Amino acid sequence: MNLWQYILRRLFYIIPTILGVALIIFVIFNVVAPDPALIMLGKHATVAQIAELRNELGLNKPMWAQYLDIVKSAFTFEFGRSWTTKQEIIQMIKNGAIPSLTLTLPAFILSTVIAISISLVVSFFRGKWIDKCAVFFCVLLMSVTSLAYILFGQWFFAYKLGWFEISGYESGFPNFIPYVVLPIIIWIILSIGPDVRFYRTVMLDEIYQDYVRTAKAKGLSERVILFKHVLKNAMIPIITFVVIQIPFLILGALLLESFFSIPGLGGITLNGVYNSDFPVIKAMTILTAMAYIIFSVITDVLYTVVDPRVRLK
Amino acid sequence: MKKFTTLFTALAILVGFASCTKKEEETGKTLNIAVSADIKGMDPIYANDRYSSNEVGRVYEGLLEYHYLKRPYTLVPNLAESMPTVSEDGLTYTFKIKEGVLFHDDAAFPNGKGRELVAEDFVYSIKRLADPKLQGLGWWLLDGKVKGLNEWREKHSDLPKVDYDEVVEGLKATGKYTLEFKLTKPFPQFLYSLAMPFTFATAREVVEKYGQEFLNHPVGTGPFILPTFKQTKKVVYTKNPNFRKKLYPSEASEEFKAAGFLADAGKELPLVDRVVVNVIIESQPRWLNFLKGKVDFISIPKDNFDSAVTPDRNLSPEYKEKGISLLINPSLDVTYTAFNHDLKLFQNADLRRAMSLAYDVKKSNELFYNNTSLPAQSVVPPGIAGNIPNYTSPYRGPNIEEAKKLLAKAGYPEGKGLPEITYDCPSGTVSRQIGDYMKQQLAQIGVRIKVVTNPWPELQKKITKRQVMLYGIAWGADYPDAENFLQLLYGPNKAPGANGSGYNNPEFNKLFKTASIMQDSPERTALYEKMNRIAAEQAPWIYGVHRQNFTLRHSFLKNYMSTDFETGQAQYLNIDTKMKAKAVEKL
Repeated sequence: MNLWQYILRRLFYIIPTILGVALIIFVIFNVVAPDPALIMLGKHATVAQIAELRNELGLNKPMWAQYLDIVKSAFTFEFGRSWTTKQEIIQMIKNGAIPSLTLTLPAFILSTVIAISISLVVSFFRGKWIDKCAVFFCVLLMSVTSLAYILFGQWFFAYKLGWFEISGYESGFPNFIPYVVLPIIIWIILSIGPDVRFYRTVMLDEIYQDYVRTAKAKGLSERVILFKHVLKNAMIPIITFVVIQIPFLILGALLLESFFSIPGLGGITLNGVYNSDFPVIKAMTILTAMAYIIFSVITDVLYTVVDPRVRLK
Repeated sequence: MKKFTTLFTALAILVGFASCTKKEEETGKTLNIAVSADIKGMDPIYANDRYSSNEVGRVYEGLLEYHYLKRPYTLVPNLAESMPTVSEDGLTYTFKIKEGVLFHDDAAFPNGKGRELVAEDFVYSIKRLADPKLQGLGWWLLDGKVKGLNEWREKHSDLPKVDYDEVVEGLKATGKYTLEFKLTKPFPQFLYSLAMPFTFATAREVVEKYGQEFLNHPVGTGPFILPTFKQTKKVVYTKNPNFRKKLYPSEASEEFKAAGFLADAGKELPLVDRVVVNVIIESQPRWLNFLKGKVDFISIPKDNFDSAVTPDRNLSPEYKEKGISLLINPSLDVTYTAFNHDLKLFQNADLRRAMSLAYDVKKSNELFYNNTSLPAQSVVPPGIAGNIPNYTSPYRGPNIEEAKKLLAKAGYPEGKGLPEITYDCPSGTVSRQIGDYMKQQLAQIGVRIKVVTNPWPELQKKITKRQVMLYGIAWGADYPDAENFLQLLYGPNKAPGANGSGYNNPEFNKLFKTASIMQDSPERTALYEKMNRIAAEQAPWIYGVHRQNFTLRHSFLKNYMSTDFETGQAQYLNIDTKMKAKAVEKL
């Protein structure tokens, strides 16, 4: 099958997926979420005002009409305004996506490159002390809660030593850099443990394959085997692991953004859920679902690039 | 290994860059404030939380405000020329507004120059609050109180467009600078509404120019300017160069005179050139920024309380040396555990009294409030008329023996025959711990409690739908009048009104109805006190505490005090820049 045909067909799946996602969030919102009118009116709510507000929010429309509204907004990208902040949702997302990405993207790229590099080294020295030490440190890093790294890093490096800003953000390059360095370092420390363990397992799976033995028999150096053959063959699980994380980078890093006062998207979904702010929940869920589909298509296409044996059907 | 070296070098450069980057030095006086929640927007009619209303209050102004240096809280004219004249029947309020007050410059005005404020602007702004299409969150303030306003709202809720030009009988500009309100019934608390951001003056042409984006284009008459609001973690206001000649007060209550609050008396406001508001949600970065001098004052976070305050409620020497001072201020609030009075079980006053007596409020103050609160004896907090100084409720615990006797009198000796009682509270560690403490306390007399935690909206829903038995909650004052607290026990206000417990006592209701139409007077205070006593003796709730604010401020911040009504406070604050330069070196 032609690559473009495949991509188009896969992208077409967005339609039933979005219909399904819209149905799920609609049902969840109507069954379990608290009344948004009550939350908005707060301590001064009266029966008449609740009824009036529900009417204005469109919550008194027939169920099918409310469902159609969700589907319509998914395909037109008109998500309207947040019920809580009254801000335009697309604008909220645009405003938040860049600060989030200035933190998550470099952090993600750096942590992936560092983790893959460490994994290659430890696979090279598999079973030796360097490998054992690496595994030990990975487990050690993973045993400490993320909050501890954040609290300590902020107190020690930013407050005591004064190397970084304690919190805050300035938009525009390079103004944001002083504010994101510490959170990036903490992100790297947080992800290095699980990432190295994952990549190491992937590499080791490859290292014991027949082709590696053959390459060794041919007299190729360990370095050539590792970089030219093992890394290339290990690419499929690596790509799956890496690409599928990308949509979530836009969503930001909740704890880091909150502690470092980075005006990203980290808290937007959470606040939406907390306040029964349905337009926000709807927008974030639909956009995440779409991004997930798009990036899984990209993953599939990348498979064919790294492994010619893979055929798209 | 070469790759690693390159990577780490890159990282090191980044770190170096981070630490070497220095921001431009600011000129003039800058007030640095930290707030712990996101700011929603800058539209006065949606400013229903403390954070949004404080921001709105920097740009917009109302007819009245609280005198900055007087306690008890006293209303004084702000955009009004003087206090209103009130007709004998207490129904007509006539305001004369200040002449020559200008709106901030904005593209919505001809030539971009802010025009003069007129009485019609208040008519428009208050109609906006009543606009059914906008669903302003402060409508409860005026609901049923201004003649013709409810009818105007109802009429337009079914029409496609709201007609602001249609005259409302009770809300008229009778001259360019004269404004008249006609009320449906006497409502002495009406004036407090006019000091709340919901009723602050907006200009019609600005609202119409920006439409739904108006909330991001604040244009008021206030001391500070914010050309565009963007939902972010930092908001920077600058001094309004065209601000009318408003002076720092020359009169003050004795406590403020003694504390040197009159040093800036007679100076033109605002006293600072910029206000920077930093949204710092987590308490650690807020605290660290304060210690570094990047934030001028802070309410002490719970986790840092013991390091900052000594057991005898003084500031730790370590902080004193840094020129930091401690301010303790009771806040107008009450925490309580309410009974659902719809349940026959809790219509038994002896059972309620027994449970109240079993609860050790002093211990709970130590456990959950670092012993900083005042045990509540009844519903009205200290600092407002209606609170009875030195009064002790006969049912304030702990008195286990008496509680057991009352429980037996109620028909449940040692708790026999009582069902398990659910205690609903908001989710969150402290709330859950308070619930567990309640369970432990009541177990002493044989009352079994099951603690159920709920996300806040869920708890609110349960209360409204009467699906609770006991629930823990708090109330903060909207305005400094006991009526705002006593209404929580007024029968006709039953949930979803403010009376969530559904308490309904004919005697209390009668007194409330009488007092609610009386102007401030010794007679009204006597009625308030009588209701306060009933609320203690009938134990419709298990009273908790009145909380106190423990705030730290740097020495270079002048004129700051912790207050329950912070709207507009920034204009009175001052920064001693020389002192700041020295103080920051020590931090």
